[in-house]
Amino acid sequence: MLEIKNLHAGVKGKAILNGLNLKVNPGELHAIMGRNGSGKSTLANIITGRDDYDIISGKIEFNGIDLNEMAPEDRALEGIFMSFQYPVVIPGVNNTYFLRAALNAQLKHFGKKEINAADFMRLIREKLKLVNMDEKYLSRAVNDGFSGGEKKRNEILQMLTLEPKLSILDETDSGLDIDALKIVAKGVNDFRDSTRSFIAITHYQRLLEYMEPDFIHILIDGKIVKSGDISLAQEVEKKGYSWLES
Amino acid sequence: MKYFRDEFDSFLDLNKDENDTLIKLRKKSFENFMKTGLPTSKWEDWQFTNFSSLNAGNFRLSSANDVIKPPGIVPGQIPHSHFLLIINGHYQPGLSKLPKNVTISSGADHYFSHPEFYSHKNMESKWSKGLNPFYSLNTSMMNSGICVQVEENTVLSNPIQIIYLTTAIQNEIMNHPRFVFELGNNSKATFVEHYIGSTPIGYFNNCVTLVELGQNSFMDHIRIQEETSGSHHVANSFYGLSQGSTLNVNNTSIGSSLYRHNINLKFCDANSSANYNALSLVDNEQHHDQRIIVEHSSDSCQSNQLFKYILSDESSGVFNGKVIVEEHTRQTDANQSNKNLVLSPSALMNANPQLEIYAEDVKCSHGSTTGQIDPEALFYLKSRGLSHKKSMELIMNGFISDISELVNDKHISEYLNKIASQQLQKIMK
Repeated sequence: MLEIKNLHAGVKGKAILNGLNLKVNPGELHAIMGRNGSGKSTLANIITGRDDYDIISGKIEFNGIDLNEMAPEDRALEGIFMSFQYPVVIPGVNNTYFLRAALNAQLKHFGKKEINAADFMRLIREKLKLVNMDEKYLSRAVNDGFSGGEKKRNEILQMLTLEPKLSILDETDSGLDIDALKIVAKGVNDFRDSTRSFIAITHYQRLLEYMEPDFIHILIDGKIVKSGDISLAQEVEKKGYSWLES
Repeated sequence: MKYFRDEFDSFLDLNKDENDTLIKLRKKSFENFMKTGLPTSKWEDWQFTNFSSLNAGNFRLSSANDVIKPPGIVPGQIPHSHFLLIINGHYQPGLSKLPKNVTISSGADHYFSHPEFYSHKNMESKWSKGLNPFYSLNTSMMNSGICVQVEENTVLSNPIQIIYLTTAIQNEIMNHPRFVFELGNNSKATFVEHYIGSTPIGYFNNCVTLVELGQNSFMDHIRIQEETSGSHHVANSFYGLSQGSTLNVNNTSIGSSLYRHNINLKFCDANSSANYNALSLVDNEQHHDQRIIVEHSSDSCQSNQLFKYILSDESSGVFNGKVIVEEHTRQTDANQSNKNLVLSPSALMNANPQLEIYAEDVKCSHGSTTGQIDPEALFYLKSRGLSHKKSMELIMNGFISDISELVNDKHISEYLNKIASQQLQKIMK
């Protein structure tokens, strides 16, 4: 699904990722762990195509398509989704209107018929239940007046509605209390199947207790220094990151 | 400048039969205007607006020759509204319809029945802060406009819409319309004051609107300025609020290359409230300059102002807002907010929010922000698969969405949303 080869990349000319390799197959959940500044969020921004983030050398392919030079909206239409670490408040833009516009952009991209308002309401009500969200959020502006936990649930709601092939969960656990964390994790787990892939970026092992990752990667100075299974995350939790530094 | 004198002289010649007092008032006002001329950049309250194109122009006062056959479909007509039509400055009674308990009269008729409204002394004492050369110019040559009076204890369920259309003119004209909207005690009405232009030829509208709200009355005033890009639009609006009255204004301006609007709002008695929302959407070299003065002269009054601008290309905007809380007034609640979105590096916004508080028992807030489209918001929307254009459109529509909250009539809301989205499409290009 996603293949990253010897990727050197950074922001505004400053290199942050220094020769990163990663292969994510359909159905897999990869967790990327690392300290602040290790390049975790840069990786997420590079995959999703945020402005100012540039590939210096190396390659990212998504289902055989070279992502370099591809606009963020086109990546999204191909099936890449990011749950933001800090979801953005967009004043005056209605949550439902926004989400239906996004779904319709995707349907149109694949030559399908757009969804009408009534069918969309039926669909979104089902998805709301999965993340335990009240219908009142639908009539609000995007993330406006949402608490930290509500914003993160809104991200997962968007994921469940747009049904991406690859979901990047950027620090989705930060700012969540344990109940909200369980809801978010359940939303992700129920969505997992043999065709979808996930990259969960996190500081802590906490999220991973509820999500069962297939692989754990430790990122230090823009490079994956060690990969393993869940036991690696437990080891990091106990010993920190310094023993992994060369 | 010379054309003002020529036009004024021929206007007096043509209107010799007018009442002496009115002629005297016109002459006095014209003298006042000539004493100062048009405001220059040296005048503090006018410094960002250049009127040299008016000085250098040669606008002819609209005459009987400009009465044309009305178009089959009048642009801008809002469904379910009572409708008054003025074309090129000339009232079209045949095409207008009015509800019961509402009377209209021309500016001159109103002058005879309400001399106190116009007598300069009264204006000077009541609106001392709002008088200026354009007001004097309007008084000297007021040749158009209408007075609409709604009787006491009248509730009008449908709006009264006045369309002031400038179209099919042969050469550059000017008009000095005087509007008076009077709402009787305990009455409720919606007024739409709507300027539309449809002509490639330049013109100049210099408008004065006096709005008086009776006790416990309730007015929605929607002002729509859709003049042509080659026109000049200058306006002075005065709102006087009596005890217990409520005023909601939506002021939407998208047209005119040179637009200056002075808004004066005064709480003449206690327990009144006014909400004023204004939106300017401009591109190319349009210049929109709005100045509002809200005078809290009475106890327990509340005012809210929200002014929003979106500017693109080489356009420019000015917001100059002042709230004055007079000495010895109590329990004033005044809020003023100005937010501007600048889409191009060549667009310019000047904002100057001010509070003058001379009383102690007040709650006041004011603020002004000017910025670009938030790149984080743009990326967020794009990351969900929305195109750049659609994302921009969503953000801008979101930015202006709270402006139309004061409009209670569904059909007016729809009309305002329609022209705003069309203008946004245009300025995004």
